[in-house]
Amino acid sequence: MSSDYEYSDDDVDYYDDEEMIDGTQDDYTGDSDDDNMMDFGGDEDIKVPQKGKRKSYEVDFESLSQSAVEKLMAEEVEYICSVCGVDESVASLLLRHNKWNKERLVEKYMDNPTTVLVAAGVTVPEPSASPTQRSAPIPSTPSSRRSTRSASSRLLNTLSGVGVVGGPKPTKSPITSPTLPHHTPRSFKPKPPSSSDPFVCPICFDDTPSLRTLSLDCEHTFCSNCWTAYLVSKIRDEGEHAVRCMAEGCALVCSDPFIRTVIGPGSPAESPAQEEENKKAWSHFQELLVRHYVGCTKRLKFCPYPGCTNTVSCPAAADKSSLVTVVPTVSCGARGIGDQITNAASSGGGASGAGSSGWGLAGKEHKFCFGCNVEADHRPVVCPVARMWLKKCRDDSETANWIKSNTKECSNCQSTIEKNGGCNHMTCKKCKHEFCWVCMGPWSEHGTAWYSCNRYDEKAGVDARDAQSRSRASLERYLHYYNRWANHEQSAKLSIDLYAKTEKKMEDMQITSSLTWIEVQFMKKAVEEAERCRMTLKWTYAMAYYLAKGNEKDLFEDNQRDLERAVEDLSELLEGPIEPESIPTLRQKVTDKTVYVQKRNEIVLEDTAKGFLDGRWGWNVVVEGFDDPEGVEY
Amino acid sequence: MDARLRRVNKEIADCKNDKTSNIRIDLVGDSPFHLKGSFPGPEGTPYEGGNFDVDIVIPDSYPFQPVKMKFITKVYHPNVSSASGAICLDILKDAWSPVLTLKSTMISLQSLLCSPEPNDPQDAEVAKHYMTSKSSFEDTARYWTEIYAGGPGSKSGRVASSGTRDDIAIAGLDPQHVARFEGLGFARGQVIDVLRRLNYRGQNASKISEDRVVEELLKP
Repeated sequence: MSSDYEYSDDDVDYYDDEEMIDGTQDDYTGDSDDDNMMDFGGDEDIKVPQKGKRKSYEVDFESLSQSAVEKLMAEEVEYICSVCGVDESVASLLLRHNKWNKERLVEKYMDNPTTVLVAAGVTVPEPSASPTQRSAPIPSTPSSRRSTRSASSRLLNTLSGVGVVGGPKPTKSPITSPTLPHHTPRSFKPKPPSSSDPFVCPICFDDTPSLRTLSLDCEHTFCSNCWTAYLVSKIRDEGEHAVRCMAEGCALVCSDPFIRTVIGPGSPAESPAQEEENKKAWSHFQELLVRHYVGCTKRLKFCPYPGCTNTVSCPAAADKSSLVTVVPTVSCGARGIGDQITNAASSGGGASGAGSSGWGLAGKEHKFCFGCNVEADHRPVVCPVARMWLKKCRDDSETANWIKSNTKECSNCQSTIEKNGGCNHMTCKKCKHEFCWVCMGPWSEHGTAWYSCNRYDEKAGVDARDAQSRSRASLERYLHYYNRWANHEQSAKLSIDLYAKTEKKMEDMQITSSLTWIEVQFMKKAVEEAERCRMTLKWTYAMAYYLAKGNEKDLFEDNQRDLERAVEDLSELLEGPIEPESIPTLRQKVTDKTVYVQKRNEIVLEDTAKGFLDGRWGWNVVVEGFDDPEGVEY
Repeated sequence: MDARLRRVNKEIADCKNDKTSNIRIDLVGDSPFHLKGSFPGPEGTPYEGGNFDVDIVIPDSYPFQPVKMKFITKVYHPNVSSASGAICLDILKDAWSPVLTLKSTMISLQSLLCSPEPNDPQDAEVAKHYMTSKSSFEDTARYWTEIYAGGPGSKSGRVASSGTRDDIAIAGLDPQHVARFEGLGFARGQVIDVLRRLNYRGQNASKISEDRVVEELLKP
């Protein structure tokens, strides 16, 4: 015991409980030693993925900091630079426009570099009819928006003189050759105002002779103050990373070096406040780029905890179809919320499932599900089922009613969207998916057949009413599962309160009796284990609710029952009165029970996870990603 | 925001000086950031002869964010809400460019009246009407121009003779159709409401059974 005393010095850290259990129960699981090696070998920044034997209910993942992601992006950019022979800023624009799909980009680029460059807004399209006319409508690029309102811009050109006051001279050297793939850096250097006619910024009408002006390759010249205000507005208010030229209809996109000259470090600012604004916008721009990259890369996901900038890479769950076989519970390795985030390597939390310590939000590990955002850890249930269950549970709440009546999910990326005005032609802010608000079908299929939406809506109304009556009939059954589900959640919360009380008692006991600190720690481990098992139990009820009747379900419920019984026994022991004389017996009992409960929990998790891998589970409803059930019973 | 004020003042002045475009922009109160624009309905359209008022609000980040516009005058047009005057026009949303001005935007609105875009509607019922029967749509649009925008018909025509506004014409329906269901004992307002919603017009009327209409009429 003397060596154990060493641990009592650092009393709240994650390592103690691990060590304690290992020291006292070496036999509880075969690979506990491996776990420990891993725990202490953990890097400061990057969480080492599980080495060696991995349990079937765990996934491999890796945590990345923002700079690590930026490094990944730089690699991709470099790859495109070398393959396509373009400079970095162009490669970055190309990749962003092609959603970081470099294979497809290279293929398209090799096929027709000009089209790709024009589509990404790198070069202006071939001069159309009259290249000298400044505001000639620029032909829409293949991927670009519909040209429904071209009539208006045509009219504009004939009627309006405003807005082009003092624009760039038509006689100026026109447009740089768009066919040159490897072109020189952009001509966004300050241009001296033309001597013959003083320059007037077409936006702010400033005509100060010394006005600093800038333009992209398209030669649409504006004063630098307008550029600054425009970029800051686009980046901060709209979160746009591909900012187009300010001229109407011009599809050219501002390159990173251009944005850097305007708002980046060292850019000219009129006042300290402006400088601060620019600084914020510039760092927000960097963040947007990382976000876009992570958003486009399926094996990457942001840590969803507030204030956390880490990213988790989990190739195993990159494919949506894999979510029917694995539950990708991952952790970015950091703990805490907001300013209190600590990025220290966690002691084998997350993947190993053991050693989550620290109560409350402050020390909470950044554990989340890679596959969905419904709940951090919903093992053993796979994402589609967990999502279905939570949706069902939430359907009664007022918030859900509001969300249901006021928002819809983008049919492409599932972002929740509130329509606050405008027509039914929606464009998802996040993924740019265009769809019809009424029928949620893609807008491209609409066109002239817009009216099918009307009929569809009426039919949907009938379906909704039918569904309602059916759900009422099965309410009884649902409540059975729901009550147990909610009960376990509640119990898990209560056990934390119980622990706080017990701990106090334990401390007193150290003083009044001859027990050492380490000898009364069994309680903490037991409460943690009980909480973890209750989480598993909770989700097994969601699972059982949807499982199709049959032998598999019977076996599942047997396992569930065994675990539940064991957990209840353990809870009872923990709640019993604690007397100094009975401590050694209680300790023995609790420790034994904890080991047993842990084993039962392993069995449930293992068996369920294997069942998913083998495709053993059948459902009584249609579950996303699974084959349709043969006979729906409920 | 000094630059914004300078720009808006110049735009207002430009409009005042320009006599050819027929676009008017006036202050609503003391603030130059809440304006009222008006323009004549384009020639050769059902809106000809009318005068259309537009509510204009200049946002704080103008001209880097689009100006907010909606019709004050009621307009019967697929891309304008017949209830609120809200406008579906790309340059008022994501196709906005800082070089666009109040005047050029107003001209775009004018041209929107020339070329409706029923496949991208703001007002679905009006769009349906447009697609079903363009001539009937134009009659209704013309009637709206008369009664709401002071169109030419207001001096002679229907309004003067009857003294009241014709609800059936406002809804763009056939008086015979309305009379038929009114004859079944339903209130006129309700009949107009249902027939408009069902787009009971032109060829479409023959596709909708009487039972279907009655069913709708009986709904609470």
